[in-house]
Amino acid sequence: MKNPVVQVLKEQIDNWDLIYRMALFEIKGMYQIHYLGTFWQFLNPAIQIAIYWFVFGTIRAGSDVDGTPYFLWLIIGLIPWFFISPSIVQSSNSVHQKIGLVSKMNFPVSLLPTIRIFSNSFQYMIMTGILALIAILYGVEPSIKMFQFIYYLICLYIFLFAFSLLSSTISTLVRDFQMFLQSMMRMLLYLTPILWDTSLVTDKFGPVVENILKLNPFFYIIDGFRNSILGGEWFFEDVVYGLYFWSLTLALLYFGSKIHLKFRKDFVDYL
Amino acid sequence: MNKKVVFENVVKVFELYSKRSDKIASLIMPKKRENKKFVALNQVSFEVNPGETIGIVGLNGSGKSTVSNILGGVIQPTEGKVIMNGEPSLIAISAGLNGSLTGLENVELKCMMHGLTKKQIEERLPDILDFADIGDYIYQPVKNYSSGMKSRLGFAISVHTDPDILIIDEALSVGDSTFTEKCLNKMNEFKEQGKTIFFISHSAGQMRKFCDRVIWLHYGTIKMMGESDKIIDQYVRFTKWFNKLSKEEKKKHKNEMLAKQIQENKVPVKNKQEKLSFLELIKNILILIPPVVMAILLILGV
Repeated sequence: MKNPVVQVLKEQIDNWDLIYRMALFEIKGMYQIHYLGTFWQFLNPAIQIAIYWFVFGTIRAGSDVDGTPYFLWLIIGLIPWFFISPSIVQSSNSVHQKIGLVSKMNFPVSLLPTIRIFSNSFQYMIMTGILALIAILYGVEPSIKMFQFIYYLICLYIFLFAFSLLSSTISTLVRDFQMFLQSMMRMLLYLTPILWDTSLVTDKFGPVVENILKLNPFFYIIDGFRNSILGGEWFFEDVVYGLYFWSLTLALLYFGSKIHLKFRKDFVDYL
Repeated sequence: MNKKVVFENVVKVFELYSKRSDKIASLIMPKKRENKKFVALNQVSFEVNPGETIGIVGLNGSGKSTVSNILGGVIQPTEGKVIMNGEPSLIAISAGLNGSLTGLENVELKCMMHGLTKKQIEERLPDILDFADIGDYIYQPVKNYSSGMKSRLGFAISVHTDPDILIIDEALSVGDSTFTEKCLNKMNEFKEQGKTIFFISHSAGQMRKFCDRVIWLHYGTIKMMGESDKIIDQYVRFTKWFNKLSKEEKKKHKNEMLAKQIQENKVPVKNKQEKLSFLELIKNILILIPPVVMAILLILGV
């Protein structure tokens, strides 16, 4: 028996070109009927950031977090979140949405969630560019620690892939899972240190509560992004947290591939 | 001689769930099922040689589409063996085009999904456009197409993706006579190339003209199979007889046949889900241990 993880990963690598081109079509299809076209890819998040800047940067200026201006601190977490949240929700829905289309041809279903993640990536890349610009405007000094941004980016993509493989299968079999996931993501926006600093929790309830919040893998990634840009600690300094994240991701990847391969032949029966 | 397609005692059972929750229950506990089952196909066996054109006839609900879906790999049989020596391509009316993309983009997208490279797509594009023959509409979003245009485009794409085994599920019934003529010509071309074609249609004339053999499905079983002229004659005679029946008699006949197909868990349908082997279970637990241990360590703040 072939290892399910190897098989699923091989499908992704073999069809790399297909994923890229399908993602482009996805974006095209999404914006075809709009006059401004793919410009919305940029406009949409820009407006959102402008609102956050207006509310948190000017009117209700939050206090600095560890010496970092609140607005800068906020968007380092918020921009990845604008990518993570829709990617999780949409990629989980992707198999259910597209299975009728692809089942009639010889097309590996495991590509569907990946295509969704990729089509969202274009916007994320633009936003990360804007983030870099804002960081420069705020006078963030370049440091060697910025290189770990790449490490956390890899973490983010592998986690998204592993999770969406599992969740897309589950939400095809049990539609309620999709609803659950949507509410979950809305909740996680507040349980991940995006809008507020979790040290507030530590002050109030003690470190155990913060540690429980840390079980959320997005905590690891968002915190990591901040550490890389603002020059916090290195990713290998918190060994336990790193091992937790990777063992969780690999377990998700293993079970995700296994369940996906087990049910993919019968997906149509569950529609 | 090597057979192109072999169906061996193929059974397809659809479970009829009375409640949504039964469906989930069957996922978790596959054994504790006492649902009604609908046997869409019962012990269907046939063999097809390369280059043959097979017609499939039958009343509505006789299992024609189930056969075509199994042939196309859309669904899996519950029991039995299906051997396909070649790439099947299913052409159905619902061609699965993306409504917000233009026709041209759909051509590109669908060819891509069939595994064609960019160069191959460029080479075939003129042929496809010529075959679909929808003029400047090709630059319009597909959602503005008429149903005839959609099926023409879908058909044009499908026949140009080099299928080995072509399955045509009543796709020709929407086109006008000129387009049907064109499709039939194309099918003749495929026939000459030695490709295997499954042709599902209600048109006795087209069947007679094209098919080498015909399978007559009747409520999930093969009633007859053989030379097309003979079977079509029989089938036409049957439909005439059936149409002459009074309303009550028709209903009675239908209900009798359907009753045979619905079973209350009498036939022991083998469950495809094998039992989780012991080794597999250990493996699963071993993979779960690290994240759990690390989670505990993390909470304790070690």
